[in-house]
Amino acid sequence: MLALQLFINGLVTGSALGIVAISFSLVFSTAKIFHVAHAGVYTMAGYLAWSLVRYGVPSPLTLVIVVVLCAGAGALIEWQLYDRLKQRRATDLVILIASIGLLAVMQNSISAIYTPNILQFPLPWASQVVAFGGIRLSWAEILTVAFSLSAYATTMWFANHTNLGKRIRAVASNPFLAEITRLEPRSVYVYVIAIASALVALPGVMVPLDFGLQPYGGLTPLLTATIAMIAGGVGSLHGAYVVAVAIAVMQNLCLLFIPGEWSVGITFFIFVFFMLFRPTGLFSTAR
Amino acid sequence: MPLSRRMLLGSALAIPMIRPAAAQAQPIKIGAILPLTGPGGLIGTQQQRGIQFALDQLNAKGGIRGSKVEVTFEDNQAKPDQSVLSFNKLVDLQQLPLIFTAYSGPSLAMAPLATRKKVLLVNAGAQADALATASPYLINTLPTIGDEIRVLSKWLVKNGKKNAAILFENSAAGISGRDNYIKHFGEAGGKILSQEPSQFGQTDFRPALLKLADSKPDVMLVSITAAAQQMAQQYKQLDLKFSVAGTTFLQDPALIADPAAEGFLHTQLQSEAPPALAAEFKSKFNVDMEFFVRQYYNASNIVFTTIDKVLEEKKPLTGENIRNTMLAIKSFKGLVPVVFNSNTASVPFDMRVMRGGKDVLLEELKD
Repeated sequence: MLALQLFINGLVTGSALGIVAISFSLVFSTAKIFHVAHAGVYTMAGYLAWSLVRYGVPSPLTLVIVVVLCAGAGALIEWQLYDRLKQRRATDLVILIASIGLLAVMQNSISAIYTPNILQFPLPWASQVVAFGGIRLSWAEILTVAFSLSAYATTMWFANHTNLGKRIRAVASNPFLAEITRLEPRSVYVYVIAIASALVALPGVMVPLDFGLQPYGGLTPLLTATIAMIAGGVGSLHGAYVVAVAIAVMQNLCLLFIPGEWSVGITFFIFVFFMLFRPTGLFSTAR
Repeated sequence: MPLSRRMLLGSALAIPMIRPAAAQAQPIKIGAILPLTGPGGLIGTQQQRGIQFALDQLNAKGGIRGSKVEVTFEDNQAKPDQSVLSFNKLVDLQQLPLIFTAYSGPSLAMAPLATRKKVLLVNAGAQADALATASPYLINTLPTIGDEIRVLSKWLVKNGKKNAAILFENSAAGISGRDNYIKHFGEAGGKILSQEPSQFGQTDFRPALLKLADSKPDVMLVSITAAAQQMAQQYKQLDLKFSVAGTTFLQDPALIADPAAEGFLHTQLQSEAPPALAAEFKSKFNVDMEFFVRQYYNASNIVFTTIDKVLEEKKPLTGENIRNTMLAIKSFKGLVPVVFNSNTASVPFDMRVMRGGKDVLLEELKD
C-alpha cells in the first residue's frame, strides 16, 4: 500500500510538472528561447489566483481570469522583451540573461507585494479528502491531475489538428523557411509564449492550492521541467510530459529503498547516466 | 589671529575629552537580526514585537540612566548568508556592541564574527546544541534543544509512546533535533523506528509522512522550524494514526490555530505573561503575547538590566563588558527566572497539547 500511495503521489506531482515541462518545451523548441521567466509566470499565476479568491471571485472564474492574464503576460514578454532584443540582434546569451533578470524582477515584486511568507489559499474544500480504497487524495490533488491531463490532451490535439498548431510546428521545424512562406514567425512566437503561459498558469494555481504559495517556489519545478524536456527529447511535447511524470514517480518510489535526502540526487543521476547512452533524449525520434 | 598647527592639534585632542559628557545624551544603540519575512517571518515578527514592547516600556520610563535605547532591526529571512551581511552592516558601519539573533543557522553563521569583533549576540529563540559552544560572545537565554528533548522523551515514554519516527529539517537546528531524539529517546527506553528529512521551507511532506507511517510508530517526533502548518494539513489528509510531538519549534500560532494540528504535543519553555502585561501588549499590537514575544521581551529586559549595570560601573558599553556583566549578574527574574551557569541559560519546561485552536498546558515538567 505504501508503494501504491507513493506512486499515486508521484503521478500527482508529475502531472503538474508535466504541464510545466510541455509549456517550457513549446517555447524552447519554437522560439529557441531558454525562457527562465516562465518560472515567474508560474509563480505569478498562484498569487493572482490567491488575490482574486480573497476578493471573493468564485474559484472557476478565478482560474479562467488567471489563465487569460498569464497568457497576456506571456505575450507581453515576447512582444516587448524577447522580440525587441532579437530585432537588435541580441545573442541567445543576452536573451537568457534578460529572461533571468525578468524572473528576478517578478519574484522580488511578488515578494515585496505579498511578503515571502507562505500563504495559504482560503479554500477549505481544497484540503478535503476523497478516499479510494486505501488511497487518499485531496481535492487539490485530484484537480491537479484532472487539469493536467486535460491540458496535455488539448495541447497535443491543438498542435496536430489546428491551423495555428500546424503553423507553430512549421515555424519550430524551420523558421527561415517559415519566414519566406509568410507564416510570420514573429507573431507565432507571441502566440506560443501566450499559450505556454496560459498552460503553466494551471499548475501555477493548482500546486499552491495544495502546498501554499512562496515567491521563490517556481525555480525548482522549472529545473525539473528543463531536465524532462532534454531527457524526453527537445521538441517532443509527449517526451517532456512523460519524463516529467517519470521523474516525479521515481523520486517518490526511491523512498522505498533509500532515505529522502538521496532521492533527488539519485533520480537525476539515473537520468544523467541514461543521457550518456541516449543524448538526444528518450523520444527524440518524434521530432 | 591665524590658527597655528599646535592650536589645531590641541583642539583635535580636546574633542575626545568632551565626548563622554556629550555621549550621556546620546541614545544607546543595539541591533536585532531576525527573520522578519520568509518561512520564518511569522515567528520573527513575534520576536521583533517582543523587543519593541520591552523597548517602548523602557523608553517611556526615561531609558537607561537618561539615555534612550534604539534598536536597529535587520531582516535575514532566516538565511545564514544574509545574516552575515546584516551583521557586518550593523557592526562595521554602526559599531553596535550587541545584536539580538534568532534561528540556529543564522546564529551559528554570525558566531565566529561575534568572537572576532567582540560583539555580543543574544539568542532567545534558537536551540541547536552547537549554539552552546559556538562562541563565548553568543549568549542563549534559553536551553539548547538537547535539554528540552531529554525531558520530552522521558514524558513520551512514560505515557506509552515507546516507538517513534523522526521528521527532521535538513538544517542546523533540524539535524541537532534529530540527533538528540536518537540519543535521548533511546536513553528514556524508547525505540526510533525510522527517520526522514525535509528541506527548510519545503511544503510537500506527503512522501516523508507516508514512509514514516509505514514503520508504524506510536509517535512522530518533529524537528522542523518552518511550514509546520502544511505538514499538519498533510498529516490530517493522509489520516495518519500516530501522535505528533515536538519541542518549542512547534510553537507556531498558525499551526496551533489549524484544526489539523488537534492533539499535537510539544514541550515549551516556561514563560507566562501576567494578565496586565498581556493586556497591555494586546492593546498595543492587537495580537496575543505569544511565546516568542515573551522570549524576546524577557531577553530584552535581561539586556537592559545588564546595560544599566555596565553604565553604573562606569565601564564603556562594549560587547565584552556587557557579556561579562551579564554572566556576573547570573540570575535574572523576569517573565521567566533565567540562570546563567554558562553562556546558555537554564529554564524550566511545560508539556502542552494543541486543542481547539489553543495551546493547552498539560503539566510542568521536572528534569
